[in-house]
Amino acid sequence: MNKNNLDQKLRYNDGGNVHMDFHGATNTTIEFIINKYGIDTMNDIFKKVGNDVYKDIKDHIKKGNIKMLAKHWQHFFDRENADYNISINDEEIILTVNRCTAYEHVRKLVGNVSPNFCDQTIKTNEALAEDTPYEIKTEILGEAACRQTIRKRA
Amino acid sequence: MIPSDHFTRFYNEVFKFLEDQGEEHLEAYWLEISKNQEKHTLKLFKEKGLKGMYEYWDHIRIEENCDMDLKLDDEKLELRMNVCPSLSKVLDNDAEPMKRYCDHCAGWIGPLIDKVDHHLVYDVIDRNKPQCVVKIFKDKEKAIEEEKNAKLLMEWPKKKK
Repeated sequence: MNKNNLDQKLRYNDGGNVHMDFHGATNTTIEFIINKYGIDTMNDIFKKVGNDVYKDIKDHIKKGNIKMLAKHWQHFFDRENADYNISINDEEIILTVNRCTAYEHVRKLVGNVSPNFCDQTIKTNEALAEDTPYEIKTEILGEAACRQTIRKRA
Repeated sequence: MIPSDHFTRFYNEVFKFLEDQGEEHLEAYWLEISKNQEKHTLKLFKEKGLKGMYEYWDHIRIEENCDMDLKLDDEKLELRMNVCPSLSKVLDNDAEPMKRYCDHCAGWIGPLIDKVDHHLVYDVIDRNKPQCVVKIFKDKEKAIEEEKNAKLLMEWPKKKK
C-alpha cells in the first residue's frame, strides 16, 4: 500500500450540515479558560486535542504520511467554505488560508474575536507534530488568514 | 482551526479539565455557555414562549444533523432525541469521553429556561446512550409531576425551585 495514498479514509469523516455557531462557543471557551485559568491551561487543552483527539492523524505523521493531514485540512475547510490554496507533495504541504470562515463567523456573531482565537490552530498543530519527524509552522498573515506548513524538521 | 464538526470533542476536553478542578468550575462554565446562548435565544424565547423554543430547536435539529422529534402543544414542548450527534461524536473519539458529558446540556439550557419562566424536565435516560427526552412546560406543577417519570433526571446550577 502506498503510504501516501489519499484514498485512505479520515478517522473523522463528517458529512451533513455544518453548524458554524460552534465557533462562537469555541471563542467563548477560549476567553473563559484564559481569564480564569491562564493561557498555559488553554494551551494544554489544545495540546490534548492535538495528541488525543487527532491521534490517528498524528500516527500517520509519525509514519511519514503527511498527506492524511492534507486530506483533513481539505475536507474541513471545504465543508466550512473557506477560501484556501494547498500545495501537496511527499516532503511538504503548505496550506494558505486566505479567508477563514470560522474567524469571520465569530466576528459576525460577537464582534470582537478573542486575540487567542487562532491559538486553537497554532497549538493543536504544534501538538500534532510533537514527537514526530515533522514540524508544523502556523503563520498568521492577518485577520482571518494564515499559512500552515508541515515539513521535515531540519 | 478546530472544525465546527469537531467542537464537541474539544468541548469534551474542556469538561474533563474542569471536572478535575471541581464541580463549581464545571457549573461556572455551563453558566458562561448559557449566557452566550442567550444572545440568540433569550429574546425569541421571551417573546414567543414555547413556539420560539420550537423554532430554535427545529433549526438546531437541521443544522446539527440531529435525529430528533419535536412536538409542540399548548402546554409543553417535547424534544425526543433519538440519536444525539454531540454525544455520538464524543463516544466515537480517540480521546477518552467525559463520563458526565450529557450533564452540560441541562447545565446551559436549565438556567435559560428558568430565566423565561418556563419549567424544564430533562431526562437523560442513560449517560452512555446518545438519546434523551426534554420537556419544557408552561406550568410548574405539571413539570414537577413529569419529573417523577424521568429515568435519569438532570439538575442544573441555581435551579429555580
